[in-house]
Amino acid sequence: MSASRPGGTLEIRLAQLLRIGTYGAVILVGLGTALMVINGRSPLDVAPPLDPSRLVSDVLGGRPAGFIWLGVLLALATPTARVIAALRAFIRAGEREMTIVAGSILIVIALGVVAGTAGG
Amino acid sequence: MEIALLLIVGGVVVGTFGSLLGLGGGVLLVPLLTLGFNLPLREAVGVSLVCVIVTSGASASVFLDRGVANLRLGMALELFTAIGALLGGTIAFLLDERLVAGLFALVLIYAATTMLRLKPAASEDVATPTGEGPTGAPAPAGRLMAGLSGPNYRVRAPIAGATGGVFAGTLSAILGIGGGLVMVPLMHIAMGVPLRIATATSNLMIGVTASASAIVYLLRGGIDPYAAAPSAVGVFVGAAVGSRLAHRVDVRVLRVLFAGVLAWTAFLMLRRAAGLG
Repeated sequence: MSASRPGGTLEIRLAQLLRIGTYGAVILVGLGTALMVINGRSPLDVAPPLDPSRLVSDVLGGRPAGFIWLGVLLALATPTARVIAALRAFIRAGEREMTIVAGSILIVIALGVVAGTAGG
Repeated sequence: MEIALLLIVGGVVVGTFGSLLGLGGGVLLVPLLTLGFNLPLREAVGVSLVCVIVTSGASASVFLDRGVANLRLGMALELFTAIGALLGGTIAFLLDERLVAGLFALVLIYAATTMLRLKPAASEDVATPTGEGPTGAPAPAGRLMAGLSGPNYRVRAPIAGATGGVFAGTLSAILGIGGGLVMVPLMHIAMGVPLRIATATSNLMIGVTASASAIVYLLRGGIDPYAAAPSAVGVFVGAAVGSRLAHRVDVRVLRVLFAGVLAWTAFLMLRRAAGLG
C-alpha cells in the first residue's frame, strides 16, 4: 500500500495546504503593506524586530508590522506543515522509506531553529 | 508609496520569470534589492528567502494539482537541500558582504552559461526509456529509487542528487536563491528527470529549502519585514502568472533572454564585489 501517486489525493491535499498557507500569508503581508503605505512608512524605513509577545496587540491595533510578521511566520511555517502532512500520509500508508525521509527533514528544520536561537 | 509600488512591480517580474524557469526568483530579486534599492546584501538575502518561499508555495500548489511535480523525489532531495540550507544559514552571517556579492556574480555567470548550454533536444519532455545512464552504468534498483521514478522515466544518479542537493541548499542560504538553479539542471541532466517535471519538482522543493535557512535568518534578525512585504506580494502575483503560463511558453526562447539578463546582473554584482558599485 502506498500514499497516492502524482496527481492523486495526497498531492491534491498538499496542494490545498500550500495554497491556504501561501494565500493566507500573502493576504496578511498585503494588508501590512497597505497599512504601511497608509501610515506613510517606506519599505526602506527601519522596521521593528519580531516580538512574538506583541504580535496580537499589533494586529488588533492595526499596526503594519504585526500583519507583516504574522504573514512572514505563516509563509515560513507552510512548507513545514506540508512535510508534516506528507509524513502522516506516509505513516498511514506504511511507506517506511518516505516516512524516514519526511521525519529527517523535520529534524533538520528543528536543528535550524536551534542554530538560529543559539546565534541570535 | 512609490518605493512600495516599485518593489511590488519588481516582485511581479522576478516572480514570473522564477516560476517559468524553476529558479524561485531570488536570483534576480537579490540584485534588484541591493543594486536598485540599496538594501544591504544580507537583508536582501533574508527578504529574498521569504519571497522564494511564497513563490514556491504558489507555483508548487498548481504543479502538485496537475500531477507534474514528483512529490517523493522532491522530498528525498529536499532532505539534502535542507541540510545544506542549515549549513549555509549558519555560515552566511560569518561571511563578508563583498565576498557574498562575488559569489553571487559567479552563480549568475554559471546560471547564464547553463541556460545557453542546454541543448534543445535535452530540453524536451522526453522520458528516459531505460534504467541505464549515459555511461551504461546499471540503474539503481532499490525500492526507494523505484518509488522516486515517474511513470515514463526512471531516476538515476542518487549520490549526485544528494551531493548536489547539499550544495544547492548551502548556496540558497548564503545567496537567498531557491536552489532551482542547481537542482533543475541536476535533476534533468544527471538524474534523467524530464525538464518540465524537474522544474515543477524544484519549485516544490524550494519552499522547504528556503524555510530551513529563513528560520535561521529570522531568529538572528536577518529579515526586514517592511522590505519583505511589498516584494512578497509582487513575487506571489508573478509566480501565479508564471505557473499558468508555463505550459504555453517556449522555455527555450525564455532561457536565451534570461541568460542575457543574468550576464548583465553578474557584471553589476562583480562591480559591487570590487567595491565599485
